[in-house]
Amino acid sequence: MLAYIIRRIIQSIIVVLIVLFITFSLPYFQPHGIVAPAYVVYGTKATPANIALWAHQNGMDQPFLVRFWQYITQLLLHFNLGHSYKQNMSVWTIIKLYVPRTIWLALTSLILATAIGLVVGIVQASRRNTVFDYTATGTVFILYSVPTFLLSLLLIDLFAFHWPHLPASPPTGVAPWAMFTDPKGFVLPVAALTLLSVAGLSRFFRGAVLEVLVQDYIRTARAKGCGNWRVLFRHAFRNALGPIITLLGLYIPGLLGGALIIESVFNYEGLGLQTLNAALNLDIPTVLGITLLASLLTVAGNLLADVMLGLVNPRIRIEGGGR
Amino acid sequence: MISAEATALTTTTESPQTSSEVVPMWRQRWRIFRHNKLAVISLGYLIVITLACYLVPWLHPTNQTNQAATFNVPWNAPPSAAHLLGTDSSGFDELGRIFYGGEYSLTLGFLAGFITIIVGTVYGMVSGFFGGIVDTVLMRIVDAVLSIPYLFLLIALISVFGRSTMFLILVIGLSGWFGNSRIVRGDALLIKNLEYSQAATAMGAGKAHIIRRHVFPNSISNIVTVATFSVADAILFLSALGFLGLGIQTPQTDWGTMLQAGAYQLQNGFWWEVYPLAIVFILVVVSLNYIGDALRDAFEVRLIER
Repeated sequence: MLAYIIRRIIQSIIVVLIVLFITFSLPYFQPHGIVAPAYVVYGTKATPANIALWAHQNGMDQPFLVRFWQYITQLLLHFNLGHSYKQNMSVWTIIKLYVPRTIWLALTSLILATAIGLVVGIVQASRRNTVFDYTATGTVFILYSVPTFLLSLLLIDLFAFHWPHLPASPPTGVAPWAMFTDPKGFVLPVAALTLLSVAGLSRFFRGAVLEVLVQDYIRTARAKGCGNWRVLFRHAFRNALGPIITLLGLYIPGLLGGALIIESVFNYEGLGLQTLNAALNLDIPTVLGITLLASLLTVAGNLLADVMLGLVNPRIRIEGGGR
Repeated sequence: MISAEATALTTTTESPQTSSEVVPMWRQRWRIFRHNKLAVISLGYLIVITLACYLVPWLHPTNQTNQAATFNVPWNAPPSAAHLLGTDSSGFDELGRIFYGGEYSLTLGFLAGFITIIVGTVYGMVSGFFGGIVDTVLMRIVDAVLSIPYLFLLIALISVFGRSTMFLILVIGLSGWFGNSRIVRGDALLIKNLEYSQAATAMGAGKAHIIRRHVFPNSISNIVTVATFSVADAILFLSALGFLGLGIQTPQTDWGTMLQAGAYQLQNGFWWEVYPLAIVFILVVVSLNYIGDALRDAFEVRLIER
C-alpha cells in the first residue's frame, strides 16, 4: 500500500511539473511576449530602451531555464505566482480570497450530486429496462446536453422571477461559509451545479452498479435467500464503490469547469468568476495562476481517490501495486 | 472483430456472388445502426438542421449583420407573419438568426471536433504502437494537460492567443484531443499484440504496414464513435465560450452567444428569443450523443472512457 501511494505521489509530482512548465511557457506567446507588463507599466512611454530596462530589472532577459527554475522555487518557497496586471494584488492574495468559496460550492454540490446520482443509478440498475430506467436515462441525456449556463439562467427565470421565492444571486461580501448560516441565496447555484453533476455522474454510476449485479457472488447471495435491498446495499454497492471513487476523482475537472460557468451566471464571488474577469481583461498572470491551482486541485483529488481506492479495495492494498 | 484483410476482401470482390452472399462490412454496421430508431431519427434531424443552417441564409436571406438597417424594424417583436419567430433585441429576425448562428456553431463544432480526432488519433497511435519510453513520455504529457480543467485551459489559451474565429477553431481543436488520444492509444496497445499483428510481423511486415493495415482499420470503430462525441462536446464548449463573451465576435454570432442574450430577455417575457433556439440546440447535442451511442453498439466495442 505504502509503495503504491509513494509511486502515485511521484507520478503526481511529474504531472504537476509538466503543468508548471505549460503555465510558465504560455506567457511567452502573448502579444509582446513576457515583457508585456512593461507596456502596461510605461503606457505611452514604452520605448524599446525602457522596455529593455524593465526586462533587465525584472530578470526577464535571463535564459528560459533559469527563469523556469526561479519560477518553481518562488512558487514552492513563497507561493509567489506573480502580480495581477489589473488588480493591485498578488495572484496568491486573489487565490486566498476566493478559493474557499469555490471549494464550498463545489464540495456541497458534489456531495449532493453523489447522493442523488447513487440512488438514481442503483434504482436504475436494479430495475433495468423499466419505465423508470428509460425515463431517468432520457432525463439525464437531455440534462447532459443542456449548456450549464442555460440551465442556470432557466432556474433563475423560474425561481427568482416567475415564482420569486429565491434570490437570483447569493449575497456578496459575506463569509465563505455563509452558505450554511444563510443558505437561501445559495440554493440556486448549488442546485444548478448539483443537477449538472448528476447528469455527468449517474450514467456512470448506473454502469458501475450494473457491472457488479451480473457477478456470480450476487447470484450466490440471492440464492442464499438474501433480500433485494440487502443484496443491493451490502453486496452490490460495496463492490461498486471502487469504480465510483475513481469516477469521482476523474470528475473533478468537470466540477471546477461547471463551477466557473455557474459562478459567472449567479455572480458568485469565487475562483471561476475571477478567472473569467481576468481573461476578459487579459490579466494573464491571474488566469495562469488560477489555472495552475485548478489543476493542482485535480491532481490532489485524483491522488486522494486512488488512496481511498486502495483503502476500500483489499486487492490493491495487498498487492501493493497493480496500476 | 474482422481483420483488415477480410474487409478488403469483401469490398474488393467484384465478381458476381455465387452461393453465400458476402455482405460488406459497412452495410452490416448500417443494419445494426438502422435498428436503433432513435439514432436514425437523430441522424435525420442533424442532416436537416445542418442543411438548413447552410442553405436558408442563402435561399431566404434576412438582415443579420447590418444594425443600421434595423431602424424600421420593431425590436423584441413577438412572432408575426413578417417574422415567424419575432425579432431579437437588435431587431434581427430570430428565425433567420437561428440558422445564421447555427452556420458558425456547426462549422466550428465540426472543424474543431475533426481536429481533435485527427491529432488525437495520430498521437495515440504513435504512443500505443511504439510503447516504452515514447509511450511513457507522451502519456505523462496527456495526464498533465487533462489535469487542467478544460474550461480553464480554454480560457487561458484564448486570453493568450486572442479570439478570432480561426483561433477559436484551433484552440478548441488543439486542446480537446488529449482524452481521445488516450482511447486510441489503448486500442493500438491492444491490437499490436493480437495474433494477426504478430503474424504480420513474423511474415516480415514493417511498422508502417502494420499500423496502416491492422492497427488503424481495427481501431476505426472507436475513432468514429469518439469523433461523434467530440463534435457534441466542441459545440457545447463553444456555446459556453459564447456565454462567457469569448465566442464569435459581433456582428457575427453563434448559438451560445444568442442563447445568452436571449436568456436575459426571459424576465421581460420575450420567450421567442430563447426557447425555439434552446430546443434546436439541445436536440443537436442530444442527437450527436444518440448517434455516438448507436455507433458504439454498431461497432460492438467497449468504450472505457469518453
